[in-house]
Amino acid sequence: MPREFKLPDVGEGVAEGEIVSWLVEVGDPVSEDQPVAEVETDKAVVEVPSPVNGTVQELHYEAGTMVEVGEVIVTFALEGEDVAAAPAPTDDSDGKAAEAPADADAAETADAETAVESAPDTGGRTFAPPSVRTLARELDVDIGAVSGTGPSGRVTESDVRAAADGETVGEATEEKPAAEPAAEPGTTAETPPSSEPAADRDRTLAAPATRGVAKDLDVDIDQVPAVERRDGEAFVTADAVREYAEGQQAAQAADVATVAAGETGPREERIPYKGVRKTIGDKMEESKYTAPHVTHHDTVDVTELVAMRERLKPHAEAQDVRLTYMPFVMKAVVAALKEFPELNSSLDEEAGEVVRKHYYNIGVAVATEAGLMVPVVDDVDAKSVLEIAEEVNRLAEEARERTIALEDLQGSTFSITNFGAIGGEYATPIINYPEVGILGLGAIEERPVAEDGDVVARQTLPLSLSIDHRIVDGADAAAFTNDVMGYLETPSLLLLK
Amino acid sequence: MVVGDVATGTELAIVGAGSGGYVAAIRAGQLGLDVTLIEEDAIGGVCLNYGCIPSKALISATDVAHEAGDAEEMGVYADPEVQMDEMKTWKDGVVDQLTGGVENLCEANGVNVVEGRAEFVDENTLRVAHGGEGQGSESYEFEHAIVATGSRPIEVPGFEFDGETVLSSRDVLDLETIPDSVVVVGAGYIGMELSTVLAKLGTDVQVVEMLDDVLPGYESDLVRPVKRRAADLGIEFSFGEAAAGWAETDDGIVVTTETEEGEESTYEAEKAIVAVGRTPVTDTLNLEAIGLEPNDDGFLETDHEARTDVDHVFAIGDVAGEPMLAHKASAEGAVAAEVIAGEPSALDHQAIPAAVFTDPEIGTVGMTEAEAEDAGFEPAVGKFRFGANGRALTTGHPDGFVRIVADEDSGFVLGAQVVGPDASELIAELGLAVEMGATLEDVARTIHTHPTLSESVMEAAEHALGHAIHTLNR
Repeated sequence: MPREFKLPDVGEGVAEGEIVSWLVEVGDPVSEDQPVAEVETDKAVVEVPSPVNGTVQELHYEAGTMVEVGEVIVTFALEGEDVAAAPAPTDDSDGKAAEAPADADAAETADAETAVESAPDTGGRTFAPPSVRTLARELDVDIGAVSGTGPSGRVTESDVRAAADGETVGEATEEKPAAEPAAEPGTTAETPPSSEPAADRDRTLAAPATRGVAKDLDVDIDQVPAVERRDGEAFVTADAVREYAEGQQAAQAADVATVAAGETGPREERIPYKGVRKTIGDKMEESKYTAPHVTHHDTVDVTELVAMRERLKPHAEAQDVRLTYMPFVMKAVVAALKEFPELNSSLDEEAGEVVRKHYYNIGVAVATEAGLMVPVVDDVDAKSVLEIAEEVNRLAEEARERTIALEDLQGSTFSITNFGAIGGEYATPIINYPEVGILGLGAIEERPVAEDGDVVARQTLPLSLSIDHRIVDGADAAAFTNDVMGYLETPSLLLLK
Repeated sequence: MVVGDVATGTELAIVGAGSGGYVAAIRAGQLGLDVTLIEEDAIGGVCLNYGCIPSKALISATDVAHEAGDAEEMGVYADPEVQMDEMKTWKDGVVDQLTGGVENLCEANGVNVVEGRAEFVDENTLRVAHGGEGQGSESYEFEHAIVATGSRPIEVPGFEFDGETVLSSRDVLDLETIPDSVVVVGAGYIGMELSTVLAKLGTDVQVVEMLDDVLPGYESDLVRPVKRRAADLGIEFSFGEAAAGWAETDDGIVVTTETEEGEESTYEAEKAIVAVGRTPVTDTLNLEAIGLEPNDDGFLETDHEARTDVDHVFAIGDVAGEPMLAHKASAEGAVAAEVIAGEPSALDHQAIPAAVFTDPEIGTVGMTEAEAEDAGFEPAVGKFRFGANGRALTTGHPDGFVRIVADEDSGFVLGAQVVGPDASELIAELGLAVEMGATLEDVARTIHTHPTLSESVMEAAEHALGHAIHTLNR
């Protein structure tokens, strides 16, 4: 009954350590607290103790490998032991657990108690339904490494999803340059001639056989350090020649390694495409290749809106709400959606029906560290600008902190993306499929506008509306945009809505 | 490549249209791949044409006749007459319907079906020789290939199949008259299924087996009801005897057997049936051309994605190793197609069920008690006899039992063995339990229909938990 043993936090929040040596071999019996490996961190060399009585089934790394805290390093086969209950949650980042690393006893106790994540004791087999196994493959999760929270430790769908999220987060720290090739014990240490200055003599005494060796090894015998002097001249033996040749090769190899490692960093690196990134990618692909996108562009003069927001801002702040332009745009969009219901619809391809929604849930794209998320404000038509502002702020915050509830990311009928927040004018937003429209906002800036033959500076907002051309025609897109623009040009009209 | 030979390009070439190959082809077609399915003989392979389906058709038909004639106990008196040629026609109709269905499905999924024998020319080319002299050949240049060539019956030296007196299992299924007597060489599942059918049709059956029991590989308590029933049907067994030779007589055939000690026996019969197992077909493909070599048993080794050592070549079904079962082939076929189409798919099944269509039937899935122990579990075992099941008694065949093997600690169902009426169907529920990671509690607390055989599954689970209702608890 195997138990996987992960490298514990060997001291003061150290994230990784080198396995200097294994103190046990596969097949060795071990008892609890018996040291199994020596691990060197940047602080100290620590002996890592076994958390269990059992037998070593597998050592997962060779000595000399850098291993991150939390990676499985040993698999033990257990002696008859009860099924571990739900494994104690471990917190790798919790540096408080370990005291001074020099205090081996204290560290060992802490390791055994906190850092060991024990798999349920089920003969090395993971119990999970086929649907969950499929999900694990989709999310690139090793199901054998997931601890189950289902009945008797069965792995559930949410266990796999949690593991997938955890891995994605961990990914960032995983990208580290490959460990330097470990020095072959015995060779470079005993014969460091690479660092020895080359002799560079004019004349060197040596036996003809030695010269033969030098020729074979392509070594200039005048460069070989002399082992003794004869008749006042440097004398070189065959062994010295060989040693020198080896040293030269080692030095060359080291140069090559240095070049390969790249002082300036690797030329390229490969980052796994998975997790949230892949989910976003899949959604984008599905949308782009399912819905024929057409993007309609226009620019609206929002001078009045800018002034209005300036006037209202202090009032909103008095109520602790940060007022952005987004709530006004959402209000304008909903007013226009009511005029053009085909944009507030989706296509049910299976049923062959266009689903027109008589509710107005607006998705607002938010850039987060993990990638793009689209929180949804429900029933925008029934909410005040202030209420909408408050909700958008809250949802965006939750999305960034990744505490957002799943239902807050579902059920939108039309979406808005504000790429202008970062700067820029026009773009082609990808529809939040299966919706049929998305409005992209450029940056509100003072731009030149022609007015009665004069060029004047006005606050303008560039709009980019992408539509699913299967459902919405270009003319409708233009009319809808005009409607939105009307409300944004003369925001007081929104009072009538 | 032959000079002047223009290769047709295809994304996926599948060699063999049996239960593995055609499933792979249809799934790959569904996933949008351009598929070429190459079959030398008959679409549907051995299973549909010469194995599972025709044999089960004959078993059912024979059972109807036999049961009707053997139901005096129930107060039924009948003397059924079997017209073997008509039974064969009906059976062939079933086969045609199924193979026709498969053909239609292939077509509907855009699979290009090609007739002929395929062999590799190089890593990306297959040549397909059409049957018959001078019929020519064509080449296919593939991106991926799936080897699904299946297996053929093993011939015992000196017992070459002639279709007249020395028959293969396939020949038996095509008999137009019922032989008076047969010697069956081999008491594995094919030999036992055929023996049972023939005995029910009134044939005198003598079974000769080299090993010392029937159905090697199955636990002895599972085999016992089958042997008892076989004896009731008049089947005679000789164990520890290997078929050594045969000679023609005026009435048919005399088969000589030999024990390990060299003792000889002879058995006279109208015909001999040799059913000693099957061997994978990996010798017709010119596998050397792609650098693949079968292992000592003739199988191609594959990984969890059904991939061989050659990255773009996959192997499924009988050629990919034991167990040689159609449903294993289908599962592998689906996985191979999905992997090739770039889907996240893998063979991570926890168990493959198996069924033997003897009388009574045997169904197994997952681990036996001994296997569970070997795997490090502490097994909890529950057993329920059909003799205590109402529905089994009403079938008139209450022999056998359901046994469920679980992990004592967690309650996870690890395996099950069923021998008895409809064991081949009952095992499905237990397969689902193993695959889902269901516990004994899950099975026991699932309400089962009364009165059915399936109640025995629930009772076996309850027995393992120590609270069976209709049997004494352990």
